[in-house]
Amino acid sequence: MEAERDIVLSASGIEKRFGDVIALDCVDFDLRAGEIHALLGVNGAGKSTLIKILSGVYAKDGGTVTIRGEPVELGTPRAAIEAGIAVVQQHPELVSDLTGAENIFLGQEAPRPGLFRRVDAAGIASRAARLLHRFPIRIDLDQRIGDMPPVEREIVAILHALRLEDARILILDEPTSTLTEREKSSLFAMMRTLQASGIAIIYITHRLEEVFEIADRFTVFRGGRNVATMTVADARATRASIPNLMLNEAAGEIFPPHGDEQEGEILLETRDLGREAAFEGISFAARRGEILGIFGLIGSGVDALSKVLFGAIRADTGEILLHGRSVRLRSPADALAHGIFLVPGDRRSEGLSMEEDVVFNMTLANLGRASWCGFMRAGANRRVARDLMRRVDLQPMRLARPLRGFSGGNQQKVVIAKGLYRRAQVYIFVEPTIGVDIGARAKIYLLMRDLAREAAVIVMSSDCDEVYGVADRTVALYKGSPVGHPERGIPRNQLLHAGIMGRLDQ
Amino acid sequence: MRTHPVLMRLLAFAAIVAVVACVFQSLTPTFLTAENLRGLLRHMAINGLASLGLTFVIVVRHVDLSFPGVASLGAMTLGWLISTNAPLLEAVCGAMAVGAAFGLLNGIAVARLKLPDIVTTIATGGLAIGLAYFYSDGTTISQNFMMSGLLDLNDAKVFGIDEPFAILLATAVIAYLVLHTSRAGHAFYATGENPVSARFSGIGVRRTVVLAFIICGVTGCLAIMLLVASAGASDVTAGNQLLMPAFAAVYLGAALFGRPSVPATMAGTLLMSMMLSGFVLLATPYYYSDAIVSTVLIAAILAFDPDLLRAVRHGIPTGRERAV
Repeated sequence: MEAERDIVLSASGIEKRFGDVIALDCVDFDLRAGEIHALLGVNGAGKSTLIKILSGVYAKDGGTVTIRGEPVELGTPRAAIEAGIAVVQQHPELVSDLTGAENIFLGQEAPRPGLFRRVDAAGIASRAARLLHRFPIRIDLDQRIGDMPPVEREIVAILHALRLEDARILILDEPTSTLTEREKSSLFAMMRTLQASGIAIIYITHRLEEVFEIADRFTVFRGGRNVATMTVADARATRASIPNLMLNEAAGEIFPPHGDEQEGEILLETRDLGREAAFEGISFAARRGEILGIFGLIGSGVDALSKVLFGAIRADTGEILLHGRSVRLRSPADALAHGIFLVPGDRRSEGLSMEEDVVFNMTLANLGRASWCGFMRAGANRRVARDLMRRVDLQPMRLARPLRGFSGGNQQKVVIAKGLYRRAQVYIFVEPTIGVDIGARAKIYLLMRDLAREAAVIVMSSDCDEVYGVADRTVALYKGSPVGHPERGIPRNQLLHAGIMGRLDQ
Repeated sequence: MRTHPVLMRLLAFAAIVAVVACVFQSLTPTFLTAENLRGLLRHMAINGLASLGLTFVIVVRHVDLSFPGVASLGAMTLGWLISTNAPLLEAVCGAMAVGAAFGLLNGIAVARLKLPDIVTTIATGGLAIGLAYFYSDGTTISQNFMMSGLLDLNDAKVFGIDEPFAILLATAVIAYLVLHTSRAGHAFYATGENPVSARFSGIGVRRTVVLAFIICGVTGCLAIMLLVASAGASDVTAGNQLLMPAFAAVYLGAALFGRPSVPATMAGTLLMSMMLSGFVLLATPYYYSDAIVSTVLIAAILAFDPDLLRAVRHGIPTGRERAV
């Protein structure tokens, strides 16, 4: 068969487990020479795990990988590079103060002989010229990286990955998440150039319209399995619904029942909230007794929105109303005083003091309540922390253990306990279950529902199933703009469609 | 059963103290005499006060290199005020006000203007030394010192304890209450460990950092007051000898007890003072003892920095990592 001979990379029966979690379950995947192959799937569907196996970051637990018919072991990144696989990470690390060419050949400067081992600038320039000869792309590689726009940095990162002559397979992990429309098209132009020179590209994205724009074929992952591989032309012809393929029908089971339909009073309201280069026109109301879900991918502006609502950064336009009164939130301390609590998306760097123990962390957001005349009420705080620990079901129940000794899910429970101790009116959760195992996830959703009895809860997440499963009303954010009507809410497949396509499915 | 970690560390500390004492006692029989131990504690009072203030700055994960210079300015301010017949209390308050003002300056520069702490505090320390020359064009001041009562600070006793050591104990108790039992203490540790999470918990991170620098400036001037009292004169270079022992004490204590804290700093200061006093008895030239203090400082930094430590014992998981 014609297609069989063209296959440069073929993976079959790939398995990967993390403890009890099966990340990849007997996955088959193949890549043809010179094609652009998109990988799709919601968070945790397994696409990143496959990429990490192909790039030698993870060792697979089962299955075989062949490249041009030859079986290969990709146990280490070096082995993957030698097999001709080049990877560009989602956030490539480049040195801002060096030029594009210097970044491409970083670590391979081949210094001139002699005492000082000076960098051979002329040599680097000629190698960069040769690279640009192979891939005719218009870019000034003598510019400092720090002076380049994001798309040119991305291109430098790609050239860095392709600097070795024998790289035939390129993996791009969400390269467009920080790019504007116009920048995206110049990245796509580069991808077509690479394609024309015979390089096969695996392209991870969350945005469906990009698949139809650039890819030849695509593969959809769901729950660690490859649920569909088809050509874009076939998908067009058969009008296949990709969002439906991506959604996991069994995901509903870990979510608690929704709240009753009673309309609670509006606690927090935003009117036409906007911030330069992040989001615009955000208007919604969060009511006591309900969970409002906001679905948005990375780069959609949810992270900035959460920080504006918490007073950590300012909005440029619009207003925030609490209990119907317009407020200006100048700082997180201000927001806390107004009864807003944020469970941040990155609990390690934003939510916890990892070296401190459970009591310290649980009481930190409400030191006024935890102290008397300026002195900490050590005994009382320990009792309160013990109660909170039971309430959030912390495992193991060790008050004196530093936070770094707990798993991700239990760390998140401590952040939630911190919020419980604060007794806020509005709780904002950002990516509440990233890096959280399934048991702790169910508990965290239950705690949110619990909180929503007395307060308004807002959940912002890039996990569509999560937003849909836990929230009473949902809205999607696409590149900073809201999609859908927040008062009525939108159904599940529509929600995914809205978040990845930027409009409702007609 | 797990052995109690704090108990283990205390035992380790006691063992080190015993070893250091035995070594010096075997080299010079005068080491463990009452007279020498009194001198040792008096010396410890000076370094201990400077180290206590520095502890706050280290807890918020910053560095203050200005306090020796600021202390020199404090010494000259103190001497000048006494030479103009100001009462002792006013003179001491004047010196401490200088320390507080420079602490405020450092804090604003580092916390609000986001200047790099090392370079900034080197500069403010230099500024303070420059100002110290204004009082007397750099000559020592000792007029009125006998009558003012300043020298009594060094010689008087409180409840049978030499007054310098009593001042150190009182300051240490206050520092302990603030850092380890008060609301502000939690703010210091939270700020140092993770300023973002501290800010998201409603803590005034900048204010906390400024406060730490002010405390460091004030205790540096308290320390210099004792030094001036024992020397009997104010000198523009008085503060220079504070720098290395203070840093070594804080880091040594942190290495021994796992993190910087008031008890850790006191333990570190005790060890440092024992070593310095031993070297004096052995008539070691000061430049050798300086070199040894610096070596201890580097060893302590190595032990305190978890990343470095992990790199050193590469491959052996620590108890904490196993817990994860």
